[in-house]
Amino acid sequence: MSLLSEDDKKYLKELFKGMKKDVNILFFITEDKKLCMMCDDVKEILGDLKTLSDKIKVKELSFENDKDEVKKYDVRMAPSVVLLSDKDLGVKYYGIPGGYEFSSLVEDINDIGNDFISLDESVMDDVKSIDKDVHIQVFVTHTCPYCPSAVRTAHKFAMVNDKIKSDMIDANTFYEYADTYGVSAVPRVVINNKDFFEGSLPEREFLKRVLNSLK
Amino acid sequence: MMLNLNKGSNLPSEKTYDLIIIGGGPAGLTAGIYAGRSRLKTLLIEELVVGGQASTTERLENYPGFPDGIGGYELGLKMEEQAKKFGVEVLFGKVEKTELEGKFKNIYVEEKIYKSKSVIIASGATPRRLNVKGSEKFHGKGISYCATCDGALFTDKKIIVVGGGNSAVEEGLFMLRYTKDIIFVQDLPFLTAEKILQERLFENKDLKIYYNSEIISINGEDKIESMSVKDKKTNKNFDIQTDGIFVYIGLVPKTDFLDKNLSINEYGYIKVDNNMKTNLEGVFAAGDVIEKNFRQVITAASDGSIAAKSVEKYLENFKEV
Repeated sequence: MSLLSEDDKKYLKELFKGMKKDVNILFFITEDKKLCMMCDDVKEILGDLKTLSDKIKVKELSFENDKDEVKKYDVRMAPSVVLLSDKDLGVKYYGIPGGYEFSSLVEDINDIGNDFISLDESVMDDVKSIDKDVHIQVFVTHTCPYCPSAVRTAHKFAMVNDKIKSDMIDANTFYEYADTYGVSAVPRVVINNKDFFEGSLPEREFLKRVLNSLK
Repeated sequence: MMLNLNKGSNLPSEKTYDLIIIGGGPAGLTAGIYAGRSRLKTLLIEELVVGGQASTTERLENYPGFPDGIGGYELGLKMEEQAKKFGVEVLFGKVEKTELEGKFKNIYVEEKIYKSKSVIIASGATPRRLNVKGSEKFHGKGISYCATCDGALFTDKKIIVVGGGNSAVEEGLFMLRYTKDIIFVQDLPFLTAEKILQERLFENKDLKIYYNSEIISINGEDKIESMSVKDKKTNKNFDIQTDGIFVYIGLVPKTDFLDKNLSINEYGYIKVDNNMKTNLEGVFAAGDVIEKNFRQVITAASDGSIAAKSVEKYLENFKEV
């Protein structure tokens, strides 16, 4: 049985119908079988997404062998998914975008393809005016309904400002990495490796945390 | 692998609404379904996730019509879909302030003002935080209120579940998929969860329950190491080693953003009459946020339908000037 139901496919086809720009999805797999337990599922889903819109391009890469791409896109772990328009947007998923995070992936694709990011205007202006490097890591689990909101906000910030990079990190897959950040509740948002908060926040509140971290 | 697909939201228009519903849990969404069908121009404002607290319940087994149970999040999405089908607009944002006393109500959402002739407050409640010596520094660092969200992070670890009601027992049962090392700490001499849930819990012979137990402190340096508990019968203190604590000790209503003149009881719950009417004209309330004895998904839905019917009646006699 296919992971995406016929209903879901119909919905997605309709959603992606008007996309104007190419969305390039890079999927980095790893030889570590344990980490890549669900990589075949991801391949299937990305394969399905590709058939739903001619704007969606998928490329599979090896974390161990494709060194140039790993370096170019600063991929630190795998499995991972990197989303690009015609340029690097700084939008990544470490671990697979499954469970509730599948919605984050779909909404990210939709934003990139339509070249429209649904941020409040005043928030958008403030995000664009950030001129220092920002790295946002959002630790999640696939069973956390509050997490996609944090992931999406972080990803949207990255999409509108090249200085900002943001990663979703599945705390379950990268358990030891998450543990070094003391993650025991999700979503946990880490900004520039020094400031953090738990829980989802409205976009303006989220932005305040980012700005405070730059002070 | 499971995929949860959230099928989008529409954007609100900036007009005066017949009804603004604050909160997208079962009470607010049901009110939306009824209001939409009454052709009221309705805006529903939700802070984070539709479905309310039930969205983190893995499986609801007591909601009628679903003999095999239904996921809390899934039920929320279905209710949202149903409300939208009847024309309700859904806005995601945090309500920061309300002005409910005039004929037209103002609802402040992140620097925007939405106007309405009537309001249903269905803002719900949040889990009551554990407040004992040492607990403050471990919130989000070992103390959790959402087993569905955080459970996987405690795989094969020692955990304590605090409480003995439906939430505590359901979440404790959910945690069994990650660890067998679970201890319940309950302040009463018995559990208050539904009998069917208690039966399932008791099937797990290794599971330990401390009754009559008062939590004295949470201990540890950087991580939680133990919980100190007093046995209320013997007055003796003892320590339980643990890595994580999941807390289900009741609720706190979300009313801090509302008008000060809205009548609430000593615990912060909104006072309403049988028709979900508050003390302010054109303002109704429904669900976990109101003063009542039982807080279930179905009682929230019921409140929501009554509130919407009351709004409909109120608007029949509403004069613009």
